[in-house]
Amino acid sequence: MELAEEGVPPVINLTELAEKEKEEFEEKVSELIIEFGAENLMACMQCGACASICPLARTGFEWYNKKLIKAILVGMREELLDDMTPWACVACNRCTEICPRNVTPFEVMLAMRRLMVEDFALPTLTIEGLRSLYEHGHAVYMTGREARKKVGLPEKPPTTDSDEKALQELKTILKNTKLAELGLIPME
Amino acid sequence: MTAEDKPRIGVYICHCGENIAGAVDVEEVRKFAEKLPDVVVARDYLFMCSDPGQEIIKEDIRKGLVNRVVVAACTPRTHEPIFRKACEDAGLNKYYFEMANIRDQCSWAHWHEKEKATEKAKLLVAAAVAKARLLEPLEDRYVELNKDVMVLGGGIAGIFAALDLANAGFKVYLVEKSPSIGGNMAKLDKTFPTNDCSACILTPLMVEVANHPNVELITYAEVESVDGTVGNFKVKVRKKQTYVDWDKCTGCGACLNVCPPKARVPDEYNEGLSTRGAIYIAFPQAVPKKAVIDPDACIRCGGRWFGEEPRKTKDGKPILAPCEKVCPTGACSRDEPRDPNGELIELNVGSIIVATGYRVMDKKHFKEYAPDSPNVITALQMERLISATGPTEGKLIVPSDIPKYLEWKKKIEKGKEAELEARKPHVITFVSCVGSRDERYHTYCSKVCCMYMLKQAMLLKEKYPDLEIYISFIDVRTPGKDFDEYYMRCRKLGIKIIKGKIGGVQRLPDERLLVKGYDAELGRPVELISDIVVLATAMEPNMDLKELARKLGISVGAEGFLKERHTKLYPVDTMTEGIFICGCAQGPKDIPDSVAQAKAAAASAMSLLAPGKMKVEPLISEVDQEKCIGCGICENLCPYGAITLVEVNGSRKSKINETLCKGCGVCAAACPSKAITLHGFTYEQVLAQIRTIAAKKVVEV
Repeated sequence: MELAEEGVPPVINLTELAEKEKEEFEEKVSELIIEFGAENLMACMQCGACASICPLARTGFEWYNKKLIKAILVGMREELLDDMTPWACVACNRCTEICPRNVTPFEVMLAMRRLMVEDFALPTLTIEGLRSLYEHGHAVYMTGREARKKVGLPEKPPTTDSDEKALQELKTILKNTKLAELGLIPME
Repeated sequence: MTAEDKPRIGVYICHCGENIAGAVDVEEVRKFAEKLPDVVVARDYLFMCSDPGQEIIKEDIRKGLVNRVVVAACTPRTHEPIFRKACEDAGLNKYYFEMANIRDQCSWAHWHEKEKATEKAKLLVAAAVAKARLLEPLEDRYVELNKDVMVLGGGIAGIFAALDLANAGFKVYLVEKSPSIGGNMAKLDKTFPTNDCSACILTPLMVEVANHPNVELITYAEVESVDGTVGNFKVKVRKKQTYVDWDKCTGCGACLNVCPPKARVPDEYNEGLSTRGAIYIAFPQAVPKKAVIDPDACIRCGGRWFGEEPRKTKDGKPILAPCEKVCPTGACSRDEPRDPNGELIELNVGSIIVATGYRVMDKKHFKEYAPDSPNVITALQMERLISATGPTEGKLIVPSDIPKYLEWKKKIEKGKEAELEARKPHVITFVSCVGSRDERYHTYCSKVCCMYMLKQAMLLKEKYPDLEIYISFIDVRTPGKDFDEYYMRCRKLGIKIIKGKIGGVQRLPDERLLVKGYDAELGRPVELISDIVVLATAMEPNMDLKELARKLGISVGAEGFLKERHTKLYPVDTMTEGIFICGCAQGPKDIPDSVAQAKAAAASAMSLLAPGKMKVEPLISEVDQEKCIGCGICENLCPYGAITLVEVNGSRKSKINETLCKGCGVCAAACPSKAITLHGFTYEQVLAQIRTIAAKKVVEV
């Protein structure tokens, strides 16, 4: 561990990972990812086509699509939950288009987010985004309402935010998702 | 020389499309050729080898215009036979033909120097004309061929070669070193990529070949020496001493269990995972199913050996060995003496097919993989471990507990109650490229390991889904129909791939193994604890393959497998006419490839022997025994062993075997007394060519 702190990557103990998957958790992380939507996960042959065009891989995130899949396959659950890479995915979906085995790496990324949410392993910004989505119908919400008024625009944009009925429908939908079950944000 | 015989040479220059005409001024060469001595006509054409091109030559011959033909075109390697045939068809002796290679050796080589190319073409044509003036008519000869074939090796390749030949009506001697045919394939559990049961598809073929009326099966026998040449090989085969009368042995197996524990040795069939007695039957579905006694293992029960008087009990009864006593037919009787050297038989055959297979490398070489641990096994041992005919009847336990299993089985057989305490594996790790792609052992890829590791992993995972299986790969090599799909099936089963070769295995006190690797996909070192480590050890040539090749007069490659005449075009032929190779004796390959090659070798032998006689080109050497001084230089130089020194009227003279001579000319070049003539390339002819080129004009020799 000391060496690891100095920047040398530690040895991956495959036995420990496999035993934890069997004994500590009810399901293997790979099985969960498949359940969460990445149905073709096991077909990955690690060709690397997805990584070659992935913005995450190019900007230095450690667990970009290809490596994420491999880590899932060997059961590196804890290390992955500690890492925020999936939240940086820009959902460009190029990986899914390029994949020769129809693995849909983007779905793996999304499934990983779902797994992380279940484990509350998500950045605070994400919680802000969710709260905003619930309250205004926008995950990313502008703050400059004064500015809108100054130039003669209505305070709220002509979207769900200004449509009380639509907003109520959205809230109903969200209350019926896993989000309500997890209790990440207050839902009155 | 009569006027009729005087050379009237026709020169025919080919444009070869643009291939020659693009660099050589054909018209200039034609005009030059016209003026050469004895040339009566010089023509050119776009493609001389085409039908109309050949017709030009034939027409000139038929009209009596020409009686020698020179074609200046591409290479004689591919086109000489075509033009010779054209001459013959038009009624001219085909050896009155000479070729000048103005494409490969001129236009192609000097494409950017057109003037020089044209000059060189002229010289080459002049040289060919100079030789053509001296050509002599030669006749093809024929030798009778013995139509019987010997197949060496009774594995899947040998079996198929023998069957194809036998079905076509050829008599086949199938010679196998072991007591039973079947080879390595008989040891396999299932076969990729269809997971057919190996025994189920192999055993019927073993029976079929053994019962075929055209096949004489000679097992437990090895080649002692080979004499003769294509069509007439004389092969001495030593049938090893079986110490069991095979005429009487019914393969009942009564003797197997009475052989005492002291006489037990590692069982070859189970790759040493269990033991067999000194008297044994190779394996349950052996063909022929006959027992043999291994004289090195036999402890000579009752203090008696074959042909010796038995000791007597106090009441005068003879003390017999247990096997002798239990045998219901008297096949194991030790009354008669037996020659430890077995029996030497001589067989005459026209062709030989070598299908002697391979062996897998032993784990002992690989100190980095804890070879002393019983739970580190080779992949072939894994085949035995999962096979229903294996040491545990297919029950999956760690190999270190096989002795426990055998003890338990003994108790159960005796009707006692017992609990099997053998440990079941939870983790199995496969290590790829062990001894293959490794400068320390073999540089080649053994070709089948990726697929058989996947196969074993798949079989295990399908049967025991809770098993953790890791396969390490440098890279996965699955070229072939349905092979990559097979690999994907494994991936989908959840077999874990470590991308990188395992570098070390450490034996733990509890007989588990610590495996150390590096995964290139994660970019990190990995380690795990495994119950069994399976080494995909290399396929390598059999120990005695080199010696066999020497006896047969064929060569082995640097890696030790038999060498084919040409990798692409003559893959089952050897440099020795009449000897063909197939299967893993030629190089690592899987079952489909071995079978395909075996059938190719059989077809090659058939097309050689079917006519019953073989044409021998007259372009071979001949000794003028008047001039020969018997120095023997030629005998040592001949690469084909075609030359022997014989006694003629009291002095040593060189003699050339016409069927062996390949016409290489080494002897003629070396002969100090010019006693040897290589027909078609006589001293005068070659000298005329050389001097013509040197003098830049046709010269008289």
